[in-house]
Amino acid sequence: MRKCRNRHLVCACILAAVLCLIGGCLLFAKFKCSRDASSNQITTELFAMDTYITMTAYGRDAETALSDAEDKLIELEQLWSVTDPDSDIYAVNHSDGQPVSVNEETAELLSFALQMAEEANGALEPTIYPVLTAWGFTTEENRVPSDAEITELLKNVGYERIRQEDMTVQLESGMMLDLGAVGKGYAGDLAAQVLKDNGITSALLDLGGNIQAVGTKPDGSPWRLGLRDPFSGGTLGVLEISNQAVVTSGAYERYFIGEDGKHYGHIIDPTTGHPAESGLASATVIADEGRLCDALSTSLYVMGMEHAIEYWQQHQNFEMILITENGEIYLTDGVADSFVLDSYHSNMTVHVIQDEEI
Amino acid sequence: MIFLLGVVGSLWTLRVPHGTQVNIVQDGNVLYTFDLASAANQMFETEYEGRINTIQIENGRIRMLEAECPDQTCVHMGWLDSGVMPIVCLPNHLSIEHAEAGGDIDAVIR
Repeated sequence: MRKCRNRHLVCACILAAVLCLIGGCLLFAKFKCSRDASSNQITTELFAMDTYITMTAYGRDAETALSDAEDKLIELEQLWSVTDPDSDIYAVNHSDGQPVSVNEETAELLSFALQMAEEANGALEPTIYPVLTAWGFTTEENRVPSDAEITELLKNVGYERIRQEDMTVQLESGMMLDLGAVGKGYAGDLAAQVLKDNGITSALLDLGGNIQAVGTKPDGSPWRLGLRDPFSGGTLGVLEISNQAVVTSGAYERYFIGEDGKHYGHIIDPTTGHPAESGLASATVIADEGRLCDALSTSLYVMGMEHAIEYWQQHQNFEMILITENGEIYLTDGVADSFVLDSYHSNMTVHVIQDEEI
Repeated sequence: MIFLLGVVGSLWTLRVPHGTQVNIVQDGNVLYTFDLASAANQMFETEYEGRINTIQIENGRIRMLEAECPDQTCVHMGWLDSGVMPIVCLPNHLSIEHAEAGGDIDAVIR
């Protein structure tokens, strides 16, 4: 009996010691956190590039760096806007088939977009704008165009007909160029570069849900990003990244319900001229460059799961998380350890895509 | 007893600030701030270039009830339920967002 009581006493002492230790660690973590918070964390927000942008940077020069990054984003918006009469894209779209000189960054973005369109076999289509407009996604006066109208409009769609030589671009009369599907991603890359040039080693840029991370958090841990659940307003899990970009495409934010009761998303399948219906609810791409993430998330969403997996196996310069319309998750091997479903979604089926899987 | 104190102590240390304070922001300017824990049920309007947004606070929750904007994305978002994913009305440059960062997530990919 006495032996038993002694054992209880020893256990209680060990437990108390462990709890003190845990408490101490947590208090230390808390103290560290508040110190970080006071060490020059600056957040800025702006409306630019047709989206809501927030940027948080850490460090002594954070304020200047963010101000420079904001200037950069506004400059890029002025270059790439489809509607601003002073933009490069507007000049190309209103050139009546004549060659137009564009800014170096516009040329770089266009060259990248054309290369991606080629690699994605046209699933990314920088000249789809007139079709997008017919559906009302640029004017926000949504409607379902007739098949005849779509067929007519598709005659003026085709990235392979754009001619580019260095900084000179020539677009056939009647066609329209829109770099919206890659522009935000590239803008994220360039804004992140401005921060780095200002000596920032820790920053997080959120361009309307396109995420661009500079380095890690100030304490060296990875950034923790919630992944939007395409079926509800919340998030379904957490993805950890450092010094990378992440972009998701899906039809759950920009869509309209037609008079026929059907859900029409804003991502157009260039082969049909209709909103993509590939069986995917969302496609998320994680890579070193925001522009690659942006271009691929749209392309893979349009392609659908099978082709997306094939594409990944052929390229493997990115990771992806695909969520199907029936609520299953397919993710590539390299991201399996850094993505965790929250407890509410832990019953979702997760498939890990391996290199050899077809 | 020690165990109980330890558990309570750990939970106290781990607790996350509730962040019930929300800001209504237009073009970077805070128009209104509410503490949802104490705000009365109400509806109010904001205006941008002649277009009206109607914001509703009900039982400690907040949402964009109506928006004079063509896309209605902000209305589709429903109640504000994330510390890091604001309700944004792009055409009217308006956002409803938590004043403090929420939980342990730094941003939402969407």
